[in-house]
Amino acid sequence: MAEAALIQLKDLTKTYTRGGETLRVLDQLALTMERGGFYALMGPSGSGKTTLLNLIGGIDRADHGEIRIGGIDLAHLNNAELARWRAASVGFVFQGFNLMPVLTALENVELPLLLTDLTRAQRREHASYALELVGLADRMHHKPGQLSGGQEQRVAIARAIVTDPTLILADEPTGDLDRKSAQAVLELLTKLNRELGKTILMVTHDPAAAEVARTIVHLDKGRLGRIETRSPAGAGG
Amino acid sequence: MPPFRLVWKNLLRHRTRALLTAASLAVAIFLLCVLRSLLVVLESGIKASASNRLIVQSSVSLFVYLPESYEAKLERIEGVERVVRWNWFGGYYQEPKNFFAQFATDVEDLFEVYPEIELVEGSQEDFFGDRRACVIGSEMARKFNMRVGDTMPVIGGLFPRTDGQPWDFRIAGIYHSVKPNVDNNTLFFHADFLQKALESGAANGPEGVGIFVLRLEPGADRVRVAETVDALFAGGPQRTQTTTEAEFQAQFVSMVGNVPFFVGSIGGGVLIAILLATLNTMLMAAREQTRDIGVLKALGFRDGTVFGLMLGQSMLLTGVGGMGGLLIALSSEQFFAQLLGTAFPGYHIAAETVVEAVIATLLIGVLAGIVPALRARKLSVLTALRSVG
Repeated sequence: MAEAALIQLKDLTKTYTRGGETLRVLDQLALTMERGGFYALMGPSGSGKTTLLNLIGGIDRADHGEIRIGGIDLAHLNNAELARWRAASVGFVFQGFNLMPVLTALENVELPLLLTDLTRAQRREHASYALELVGLADRMHHKPGQLSGGQEQRVAIARAIVTDPTLILADEPTGDLDRKSAQAVLELLTKLNRELGKTILMVTHDPAAAEVARTIVHLDKGRLGRIETRSPAGAGG
Repeated sequence: MPPFRLVWKNLLRHRTRALLTAASLAVAIFLLCVLRSLLVVLESGIKASASNRLIVQSSVSLFVYLPESYEAKLERIEGVERVVRWNWFGGYYQEPKNFFAQFATDVEDLFEVYPEIELVEGSQEDFFGDRRACVIGSEMARKFNMRVGDTMPVIGGLFPRTDGQPWDFRIAGIYHSVKPNVDNNTLFFHADFLQKALESGAANGPEGVGIFVLRLEPGADRVRVAETVDALFAGGPQRTQTTTEAEFQAQFVSMVGNVPFFVGSIGGGVLIAILLATLNTMLMAAREQTRDIGVLKALGFRDGTVFGLMLGQSMLLTGVGGMGGLLIALSSEQFFAQLLGTAFPGYHIAAETVVEAVIATLLIGVLAGIVPALRARKLSVLTALRSVG
């Protein structure tokens, strides 16, 4: 069903030039992802996973092809419009957490809400709720340096969901975490997908992490590989 | 606009560095205020000069005296209303460090020609009636704790008494000049008293008159009167140079060199040095925050917001430093006024100096912040996120 499709990619091509050599990172990729789905993007290094994630997240632009998210063609948005769209529609979770070291957990989570019309009190309320959801209500006044890696990533997830975006893009969210923390983060992402209906696209190298996704998309040398649709038995499942 | 909290917290990421930069700026702005204020003092006499007064001096030098006989000739020139003699006395009170200005003058004419000099204590009649009497400025009276009726012993530098004793002047009044062209640290006494002492051999010193001050009739043509005076004495015995009071004051300022250039060079150098230091701080801060800028942009913050974030940090840093410097300058105003004393009478931080300090602060803030702010604005999200911050 066309309405069920959140992400539609057609003929997507992206090249980079490094040291005078042109690398085709994505090659005429076509893919559709459904609203409410949990997708894992897998593939060897250099297969174009992160590039694809960046293009879908609107922080990079394709050379050719079409990226349509929720019916919006990203190629037709200028930089300011793209920034506004990102603020409203996408939540990012990075491998290295990328929290502001000078801000507390609460302030970090509140950051995307500064782009909304909410009052300060409302922003604080929303940010506190998001931290509660990720189980860090008691750490909201701690700075990133005072948190463990797992806790930092959960703060980053709270920041990603605080504006209630349709799409959450996670780039190796467990890459820098120990097994226990990674498990907690994956459980959290599963919960967001199942209970809050968030569409999640997660890049991972880790087959165990990919187990929590309902669909695993394999990329190889910028081209689409096999797609596994599965009944997740992983964390939280 | 970027959230102020983020600007503030990023600025305090390296507290010591921020503090040292702000402190350097505070010192620079303080120095700028002091130097500018010295210049204001020097120029205040020029600005407050009267347009209806001309100064007649020797065309050779201020230290060459004019004949007494010139006074009568000057009084007869059309357009001249009043003539006052001024003779530099060059003495000091008790010891050389208590040096101040003294002038032998035509005391009755002095108050007519200089209406800005107002007696705040004592009486003109008392002053006019006693040849040994003098009037002193209000600042001087405060400094030496002198009152009307006290005797002011002055050791004559240019006109020493032959008995080796100081000149004893009785203070008949204390004046206050409402304009800065007349210093409130000066002593005025009877020119006739000095002349008689010289004639009787009670004192030694040059004869003649240092300068004549002419007050012009209303509507008189200053240029024409000046030309007439100089033409009248072109044949000697002393040729004259007649200038407006403002030109005469400017000549005094230029005697100690090109002060505005000197002060401007030092002030400019200090500001450029502090600009470079602040720019360096901001460039380092921008580099450390590259990844944060990428995160902000990824979250949806616009290029203009990150531009504001960097520029805001620069403005805040320089603002804190600049305000600190200004506060130090204002709070030390009295201290410097006393320290500089008669060398720079009337030292104060003028409103225009405050405005200049604020403009300099803003300018440094903008110039130091604009480069990192533009870089942050231009930075792509991916490049910023990939940086090793």
